[in-house]
Amino acid sequence: MPTIHDQIDEVLAAAVHNELTDDEQRALHLHLVECAECRALHKEEELMNKALGEAFTDEKPDSGFEKRMLYAFRRKAPPRPSIAAFLVNLIRSRATQLAAAAALLLALVEMGRLLTGEEMSIPFFRESRVASAPMAMNKETAATDAVTIGGRQFLAKSLPSRGVEGDFRTDNERFQNPTAQGVADSKSGLGAFAGQQAYARAKEESRATDDQRGPSSTGGQSAALLARTTTDVSAVPPSTDARAEQLSPSPSTLAQPNQANRKLIRNAHVELEVRSFDDAIQRIAGFANEGHGFIATSSSEKQENGKLRGEVVVKVLPENLDDFLGKLHGVGELKNQTIGTEDVTKQYLDADARLKNARAMEQRLLEILKRKSDDINDLLAVEKELGRVREQIEQMQGELKFMDAQIQFATVTIGLAEKDMDVPAGFLLKERAQVALYAQDVEKSYNEIKALASPKIQITSATLDRDNAGRVAARISMLIAPEESDAAISKVKAMGRVDNFQVQTERVARGGQGMSEDAKTERDKVQLNITIGREEQEAPLQQTSLRIRTSNVGERAKELRSLAEKQNGRVRTSSFARDPNGREFANVSLRVPLKNYGPLMQSLGALGKLENVSVHREERPDAQIDEANAPADVSIQVYSQGNIVPENTGVIATLRRTLAQGAAALMWSVQLIGVALAFLAPWLLPIALLIWIVRLISRARAAKRVR
Amino acid sequence: MDSADRDMFRGAIHGDREAFEMIIRTMSRQLFAIAFGILQNREEAEDVVQDTFVKAWKSRWRVREPEKFPGWISTIARHRAYDILRRRRTVPLDEQLKEFAAPGNDSESPDDERHQQVRSALATLPELYRSAVALRYMQNMDYATIEQTLGLSNGALRGILGRALASMRKRLKPALATMI
Repeated sequence: MPTIHDQIDEVLAAAVHNELTDDEQRALHLHLVECAECRALHKEEELMNKALGEAFTDEKPDSGFEKRMLYAFRRKAPPRPSIAAFLVNLIRSRATQLAAAAALLLALVEMGRLLTGEEMSIPFFRESRVASAPMAMNKETAATDAVTIGGRQFLAKSLPSRGVEGDFRTDNERFQNPTAQGVADSKSGLGAFAGQQAYARAKEESRATDDQRGPSSTGGQSAALLARTTTDVSAVPPSTDARAEQLSPSPSTLAQPNQANRKLIRNAHVELEVRSFDDAIQRIAGFANEGHGFIATSSSEKQENGKLRGEVVVKVLPENLDDFLGKLHGVGELKNQTIGTEDVTKQYLDADARLKNARAMEQRLLEILKRKSDDINDLLAVEKELGRVREQIEQMQGELKFMDAQIQFATVTIGLAEKDMDVPAGFLLKERAQVALYAQDVEKSYNEIKALASPKIQITSATLDRDNAGRVAARISMLIAPEESDAAISKVKAMGRVDNFQVQTERVARGGQGMSEDAKTERDKVQLNITIGREEQEAPLQQTSLRIRTSNVGERAKELRSLAEKQNGRVRTSSFARDPNGREFANVSLRVPLKNYGPLMQSLGALGKLENVSVHREERPDAQIDEANAPADVSIQVYSQGNIVPENTGVIATLRRTLAQGAAALMWSVQLIGVALAFLAPWLLPIALLIWIVRLISRARAAKRVR
Repeated sequence: MDSADRDMFRGAIHGDREAFEMIIRTMSRQLFAIAFGILQNREEAEDVVQDTFVKAWKSRWRVREPEKFPGWISTIARHRAYDILRRRRTVPLDEQLKEFAAPGNDSESPDDERHQQVRSALATLPELYRSAVALRYMQNMDYATIEQTLGLSNGALRGILGRALASMRKRLKPALATMI
């Protein structure tokens, strides 16, 4: 542990600076009493302390020092209005925060609306409904209100007023969805609001003048459109205009007294599904009688599945039409119903007026005749004119009669169909079969199959292809009567080796769709497609390759041939070779039926030692094949070992080889060393530089430390 | 360091100009002492303090912890002063001292002469030692505050001042003898 004496410099400095603890102070005091050297040092230290204190007293900065520093700082680093500071202040401001929150809320609402696809419904429009017609109302109410402006009371169900209502619908939709309008029209947002005001204005003005158009300049396109529509509707005269009449042909409005002398042709079309066609006809006839009507025409048609379909035209008194239709609903299930009314008042009145005119004309012509003119030409001209007028009169009378007949009775056309109309009448069983054969002689099999043709077996197509390489293939398609099909197919299958046989059956409904318990099933003609290929082209089911080592290759190869023939097989290829070392090779490729494969392999063992046996079998789980007769290929190499010692064996050859390999290895090592040197060389310079810099730094440090 | 100081430093680091100006008010004298200790020249020391504050304001974001701010800013001041000193040293030290001592050599009182000797002795010390001595004698700061200001570890100052005073004592031995 270091003593005070060892650390006297530190302790003395701390002592003159009053930084010693009490213990240290005490210890120093004790030491100073004992050590004269340290006492002298202490004395000097105090003088030093005093001298330093005096030396620095004069150098203290004056009282304005801080101020100067502040001014200098402000001058040299003035506060700059940076964008970041501006943004920070902006974010801190309460107003910005509130605005941001509101914008966020609005954005969320808009996004929600976009996602759900809801239309905007601003409360403002609902309130304004009282003052200015149909802002957020549904289309029908809007139409009703608009027509009321014209001075007539119509019910909302007045559907046939297509033209007028169509206009309204368009405009009304524009109003209900101002944003959609905004997409097309650049004046969007304001356009809708201004349009609404313009609408109200136009409504007021249209009461005063029929033909006046609403002011469209302020409201933009939508206002102009709306104003036009409004004036069009309100301009309808209450008494005579035909368009106004057309607004009211609903059956429920017919009962009104002012409609009594109208000439209306009513007709209805009803489609019913009934249990029994005849019962339905009877009941309909009964209803017609009750309503003072009659069956005008009736027709029926029997379907393939025995069901009846037909049409009945019934004439009933117009006032009984609704009752009659109500009763009809009890006859069967209503599938479809349309009711139409045609107003022929105008045509009727026109025809009537023309008739009266024509009669007056006739009367006058008669009077002219009665005057007995002498001029024969005049008489003839009058007669001719009289004839024309009478023809007109008859024509008009006919027209009026026809109209009367139409008006007198309402026409109800009833379409009747019995239930389960679509149930099929029967099913047809269609069968298609495919046979793929391999035959020894394709042409012979082809002719044999063609010979099967008879009234019950029709050959629809037959082709025989032979290419340059001598490959032959045949295709035959035939239609076979169902009772003959099994026999014919088995005959075909016997003509060669069946490689593939597939049958597809399809049940086709006739005269309808779906299931039926009663429907019968009939067999259709069987379609048979046959393809014949040569046996040689068939891929083997199993392939075997092996080697046999023997001393007499030629002899064994001959034996192989005889063995193959014995097992009902054929030699496909064979070759013989002898190499310079005296070794002999014979390659023989055989094909035998799979059933004879086992015996063949057993007999091969007698020829010599079997080596390298490998078997490859093609599994075809999907195909229906005759496995016993499927072809199996066997490739056999019979070989003998040569009796001449080759050049590359022996002591000298081995020695030569060893030396050559050693030299090569040596060269390789030299090459590698060269590569390593070439790789390291560029690094040497930077490494040397680095070492130099490190030494430089360490020297500089050492020098600093010394100083 | 109390919490008020820490808040002041933190504000300055985050760009609060008022906080930084408060630092200027409180720390300029300390920085002046550090610079003067190294340079022994009032004008240059003032320049150093000014430059130090400007530079500290511009790169205030480099300080992560408020506690390290005083140490950091005094390091800037020391480096700046050292740069000036190095530039000045291209003129040989002896000539400097001669120039420094030359004017009014005849009319100097013994006190002035002693002050001159003290300064010469001080000039031979390493820069850090000079700063520490200046802080102690010019600002009368206690050891802990000086350590904090200079970014020194706890207790390191005692050794530094001990060695500094001992070295000066040896150099000024004759001059001190005249004081008795």
